[in-house]
Amino acid sequence: MSEKKRPALDPAAEAARNADRKSNAGPTPDPWEACATLEYGGDRSFAWSVREQVVRALPEEKARAEQSLLKALGRKDCTEAGRAFLCQMLALVGTSKSVAALAPLLKDPKSADAARYALEAIPGPEVDAALRDALGSLSGNPKAGLIGSIAKRRDTTARAVLAGIRENPSETPIVREAAARALDHLTTAKS
Amino acid sequence: MNSPLSLSRRQFLQKSGLAAAAATAPLILPSGLRAQKAPSKQITVGIVGSGNIADSHYGALLGDKENVRIIAVCDVDRERRDEGAARVNKTYGNKDCKAYADFRELNRRDDVDTVFVCTPDHWHALVAIDALRNGKDVYVEKPMTLTIEEGRALVAAARKYNRVAQHGTQHRSMKRFHDVAEFIRNDGLGKLHRIECYIPPNNRHVGATWKPEPVPAGLDWDMWVGPAPWRPYSSLGSHYNFRFISDFAYGQVTNWGAHYLDIGQWAMNADAGGPVEVEGHGEFPSSGLFTNATNVDFTVRYANGTPMFCRTRYEGGGTSRFVGERGWLDISRGRMSASNPDLLREMQAPGKKIQLELSNNHHDNFFSCVRSRKKPIADVEIGHRTTTVCNLGQIAMVLGRKLKWDPVKEEFVGDDMANRLRGRAMRSPWALT
Repeated sequence: MSEKKRPALDPAAEAARNADRKSNAGPTPDPWEACATLEYGGDRSFAWSVREQVVRALPEEKARAEQSLLKALGRKDCTEAGRAFLCQMLALVGTSKSVAALAPLLKDPKSADAARYALEAIPGPEVDAALRDALGSLSGNPKAGLIGSIAKRRDTTARAVLAGIRENPSETPIVREAAARALDHLTTAKS
Repeated sequence: MNSPLSLSRRQFLQKSGLAAAAATAPLILPSGLRAQKAPSKQITVGIVGSGNIADSHYGALLGDKENVRIIAVCDVDRERRDEGAARVNKTYGNKDCKAYADFRELNRRDDVDTVFVCTPDHWHALVAIDALRNGKDVYVEKPMTLTIEEGRALVAAARKYNRVAQHGTQHRSMKRFHDVAEFIRNDGLGKLHRIECYIPPNNRHVGATWKPEPVPAGLDWDMWVGPAPWRPYSSLGSHYNFRFISDFAYGQVTNWGAHYLDIGQWAMNADAGGPVEVEGHGEFPSSGLFTNATNVDFTVRYANGTPMFCRTRYEGGGTSRFVGERGWLDISRGRMSASNPDLLREMQAPGKKIQLELSNNHHDNFFSCVRSRKKPIADVEIGHRTTTVCNLGQIAMVLGRKLKWDPVKEEFVGDDMANRLRGRAMRSPWALT
């Protein structure tokens, strides 16, 4: 088996590689991963880079963008600001493939809003099912927000459960009000 | 985080006016419950949002004591609401005007006929829809809403509750803008080649990063952020400067664009429709607190092929130029000029075939419609369509590509991502429904 011949680098590239070896700077982080640790008020230049890649993604590039966002979202050190940003990007390119990763976030009051930023924009019955499923896990404000997303998506299959919430005296007034408004909204939706 | 809606059930019911029927009544006021209430001689006003833009209303409203009476002021900043109420009470020589921290309390007062929505943009839709639901007529500052979805929801609410809703684009009630739109509609410039709109620059430079700060005493920051994505307080990213942060507003695209693009819409007879195509390029900052385009440049195109562009002008403020085969017309708040003085004389000539409604005062027009129940000069649908044009430009600049728009379906054609940008999920507990 003959040894593969390495392609020759042009002199400029070779010089750049040699110079890079001598650099005392750290490696460039993966911008997608760096977004996970975004802090309020901090350097958002990597987030900018990711945002540009997302909004300019060609149809065949969207799946890879979605994967990269989900990978970053899965990091244990994901910050509140980072999670919100990643979910806002998923709102643009997310598909039903994102539901499995977002559903647990939706059930946690600390991350439910961020998950909705993504899920509310993603079409498909898998999303509707995840939103309905989270109703039993949330209470108070996050639940009211969740109900608003269900109504906005015009998920008429949620009528019965929303009617139950509206009539349930153990729910907070804001949740019952949200359920009542959602039902009102859904009356004009097609079954 | 404080819950903006952590009202007790008793408080909630009291504020909803439903305490007497607490056991079985639905929690929402039925549609039209107050819809036929006729205003008395003096129309009462509640002002929600008592900052920069409200200043422009206080003077006019307080000066019309015979017809109008401000009885409630609301702001999430205690200092601002107290100042607003004090200003009103000083003018009237009493203490009748009450200050509120929560707009829902103001909206549930039976004696408030009209609500002026003067909050930051991200609150416009929710405050206005809540007011409509409670039987109020509304005057909504520009831009009418932050997103296209919000705009359609606001129009639907105004129609559902049969209320008067005026968009705060007062150029519609300035004669020179009326005259130009009417002149264009009557082919005064011959074939219209293009409309050029110039808006002031966005943003101010405040550094590459920013630091969260303690919330000032008396400011309910959680309520200020409201339906927008959460962020900690910063003095540079709140009052006034909110407009440079895309979570809250789209900068001068919607701030001044709402005025100048609105006259273009009027001249193009597009009040119930809009353009069919948009493309644009914005220069967005890649770091720092402010996120809106520092340099705006987008063009919408109407079905007849006429383009209307919107660009940042670094000196001279907002203006519009209408360019046709007979020359051009320049118009701004301060002045009007033409390539040929004859055009200005022709513009004033009577007997035009197409005559547009003339209003000489945006407030008077609103209050007149509150009494007559007619649609105002900048009706909510018109406001929504103009705000949509601003949004189309914003979305095209964000995406950096040409987009086709269906103004009937209010959908982008063949661009899923653009369609997703027509709305956004709200932070809990807020919702558009």
